[in-house]
Amino acid sequence: MQFLTWLIKRLGFVILTLVAMSMLIFLLVEVMPGDVAQTVLGQSATPESVAALRESMGLDDPLPVRYGRWAGGFIQGDLGESLYMRGVQINTIFWRKVGHSVILALTALLFYVPLSIFFGVLAGVKAGKLTDSIISFFGLATMALPEFVSGILLITLFSVKLSILPITSVIPIGQSLWGNLHILILPALSITFVMFGYVSRMQRSSMVTVMNSDYIRAATLKGMPRGYVIFRHALRNALLPTITIIGMNMGWLFGGLIVVETLFGFPGLGSLTLSAIKTRDIPLIEACVLFITAIFVFSTFLTDMLYVYLNPRIRFKGGDA
Amino acid sequence: MTNDFVLQIKNLSVSYRTLNDAVSAVRNINLNVGKKESLGIIGESGCGKSTLSYALMDYLPSNGSSTGEVLFRGENLLTKTQKEMMAFRGNRIAMVYQNPYSSLNPSLTIGYQLDEVTMFHRGYKAKKARKASVEALADLYIGDPAGVARRYPHQVSGGMQQRICIAMALLCRPDLIILDEPTTALDVTTEVVILDIIGELKEKYDMSMIYISHDIGVINKVSDRIAVMYRGEVVEVGDQRTIFKHPEHPYTRALINCMPRAGVVKEEVRLNTIPGYVARRSAADTGCPFVDRCEKRNADCEAKYGMIERASGHFAACDRAYAEDVPDRKRAALKIPKVGNGSAKEEILLEISDLYKYYGNQHRRVRALDGVSVSLEKNSVLGVVGESGCGKSTMGHTISGLMAPTKGKILFDGIDISISWKQRTPEVLRDIQLIFQNPGRSLNPSFTLEKIIGRPMKKLLGIQSREERKKRIVDILQKVDLGEEYLYRKATQLSGGEKQRAAVARAFSIAPDLIVCDEPTSALDVSVQASVLNLLGDLQNESGAAYIFISHDLNVINYISDYIMVMYLGRICEYGRKDEVVGPPYHPYTQALLSAVPDVDPSLIREPVRLEGSPPNPTRKITGCPFAGRCHRKIGPICDTTPPPKVQASDDHYIMCHLPLDQLGDAELDKPGNLTKTESLMKTVKA
Repeated sequence: MQFLTWLIKRLGFVILTLVAMSMLIFLLVEVMPGDVAQTVLGQSATPESVAALRESMGLDDPLPVRYGRWAGGFIQGDLGESLYMRGVQINTIFWRKVGHSVILALTALLFYVPLSIFFGVLAGVKAGKLTDSIISFFGLATMALPEFVSGILLITLFSVKLSILPITSVIPIGQSLWGNLHILILPALSITFVMFGYVSRMQRSSMVTVMNSDYIRAATLKGMPRGYVIFRHALRNALLPTITIIGMNMGWLFGGLIVVETLFGFPGLGSLTLSAIKTRDIPLIEACVLFITAIFVFSTFLTDMLYVYLNPRIRFKGGDA
Repeated sequence: MTNDFVLQIKNLSVSYRTLNDAVSAVRNINLNVGKKESLGIIGESGCGKSTLSYALMDYLPSNGSSTGEVLFRGENLLTKTQKEMMAFRGNRIAMVYQNPYSSLNPSLTIGYQLDEVTMFHRGYKAKKARKASVEALADLYIGDPAGVARRYPHQVSGGMQQRICIAMALLCRPDLIILDEPTTALDVTTEVVILDIIGELKEKYDMSMIYISHDIGVINKVSDRIAVMYRGEVVEVGDQRTIFKHPEHPYTRALINCMPRAGVVKEEVRLNTIPGYVARRSAADTGCPFVDRCEKRNADCEAKYGMIERASGHFAACDRAYAEDVPDRKRAALKIPKVGNGSAKEEILLEISDLYKYYGNQHRRVRALDGVSVSLEKNSVLGVVGESGCGKSTMGHTISGLMAPTKGKILFDGIDISISWKQRTPEVLRDIQLIFQNPGRSLNPSFTLEKIIGRPMKKLLGIQSREERKKRIVDILQKVDLGEEYLYRKATQLSGGEKQRAAVARAFSIAPDLIVCDEPTSALDVSVQASVLNLLGDLQNESGAAYIFISHDLNVINYISDYIMVMYLGRICEYGRKDEVVGPPYHPYTQALLSAVPDVDPSLIREPVRLEGSPPNPTRKITGCPFAGRCHRKIGPICDTTPPPKVQASDDHYIMCHLPLDQLGDAELDKPGNLTKTESLMKTVKA
């Protein structure tokens, strides 16, 4: 019962955040310099034709009316029409790119989460030993390397030297991503390079703390095998801070991979956002940014849920026997 | 011969490698534990008693190494691999730790943590393991064991957590159980129950036991033999009564005399202190570990140092405890004018009337203070005693202004101070000071003592000249036995006792009228506690400041206070001059507390009053007497429904109880109202 009220409260919070964020995004785009109609028609347009377009696009309506129209369309699933590619519904291009991004993000998650947790745990358990030093050094090195550097290194190794993977991650015209899954490998690897350091270091330090706790000593002196102590007793408690880090990076992973997507030419949300900004395609910018925000909000919500699941101290409060 | 002993420790030494040298934590220990025998190990922090227990389990940090032999039923544990040790740990040798809450995994259910023991050691399947776990919990008199098994550790009380830890240790019926300060984190009335259970189960399962504690009283209750440890060595070992009645080693004697105990009060005697502190021992140091602090040392005592059987079964490394060539230091009483002798009443300094403090919201309201009225005379010490959660600290906090009370009035020298510190005048802020329990956490680690002590002088006394402040700081430092050289030390560079002295110096630096001491000695070792108590007594006497002295330790309260107030669930049970409170007639709760305190002198140990259950939920509104639910003298429904009257026993001695005064004596202990050991254990099932 307590949990249900908590859940409802949290969900209400999620919606509130989204509404507030949508207003903010709308306003931000609004205050951006430059006139939309002018942009659409180009520098040579006559003032009359600009005014006519403004009229037809409803740009002269008061702000709340325009926000209402925009937000209303969003709720009904209508993201509007692209300004740059006249007559193209954003829906037709947007969701395809989102799909690509989601698949890339999930692939990257699949790569780096188990890897960094595993090596983080290993380093934590072997704290102070050579294994720990090697893992920590590697983590620090990859963390310091920007993704365009590690990406180029990966391309040089796998595509140029070994020729086993394509240089770019472009999907050939007329084909879908599903037939070309191998193009995901290099971008996912370079994301792994970026995230590995953060996550494994966090995992290591929480593992060290947990392994020095009284209950781990108690479990060991109960005669439990070491592996069991590490995985059943320590890991669950040591995962909590790591989950926060992973959750916090979810928004970036699903929508903010501008550098990686540009480097590999991957047709995802990141490169879409970038081109929308370059072409001042305002409805598209709004759709992209709002989507990324939504990912942020929902992944934070999911992180909290996972936290509650893993930490019974939050799940059940008090109750003395 | 070997079979007579469950455990034989032969020349066991443990040392830790550090950057510069090797530290010797435990050295040359020779101890035997017989079948069904209970060995108590006593010593102050840093004496190596915990290291010893982990060395027995062959569980040392990676920079630790041990030499010697630990023979468990003839097998040397120190030569076993960690894998081989698994078969011993938790199975044939089990451990119980000081802090039950942190020893249980917060994210696994209690049942899970119990089940895995038998699943690993006995190969039980899940169902059978759970059955064994539930039985073990029931063995510990835990009500609804199956339900408790499904809970998480944070959902049960501290006493219950410790019972769970004990149940876990007993699951495989070990030959030896090592208990490392198992009751130190618990309230005295809970401690009584846990000690009862330990004693009973030891008999039931024919176990041998090693009981580690810093508290001679507790050790006396549970041990057949006692080993005294100092700086890694066992300096004396012998029969429980012998150790107390006739210690041979000067350290043992000094330690016993440090402890405040029944009948020891500041008017009559100063507590014994041991000068200096426990220094780290490098592996290169040899000879008597106590020599630099020993008052009985003479020219040839080092040469004669060595473990020798002084009497049958009584070994000591030195026999100079009562040596007459070095006379005993005089322990003069504090010269204290008797208070409250009726003739000239002191002026009232602090008057609290009908004080309430609630925490939480409308749904969950914790009544931390539930109508407390008391007054304090100038130049006197009011001891506030009670178990955790009784509201004693909250009272201290409202007086010192850390928080404002919900309702009620606090008059300080005629000024209403029932407000938080932000609204108080600088004069009031100056005149009321606080000393906290943990000086390590209450002193800013990055400040020097000059800054820590000088700050209130600057802020509250307005002394702007640094030279002037420094002069005063040095003065006050000398008063607390810290020399001028401490001026530029930081809090982190001080030992526990020195830190608390610095905290005392800070409180006294601006000559306050009232000092709220919130458990100032609870985190300290007994010998350090003794010196801080002496210091507080001296300073109070000299400065004429009044104290509100908050403690859970009735012996400490009895030593330092003039008046004692006993609290339970935010209300006062009994208030009076200390000699009146600790003697009959008493409130049943006072009686229970008094009887629960384990006495240092084994011949004085009496049957404790055993209380049922644990303190009730503080969020529940109480209509009658707050203690009614657990009272061994409960009369009937009147206790639950009607608040007890305030009965005046003498001039200033009040007892809140429905029972008439003449029935609140000692003799009543033997009357049918008091539970026997088993009855009390059975009754806790309901809790």
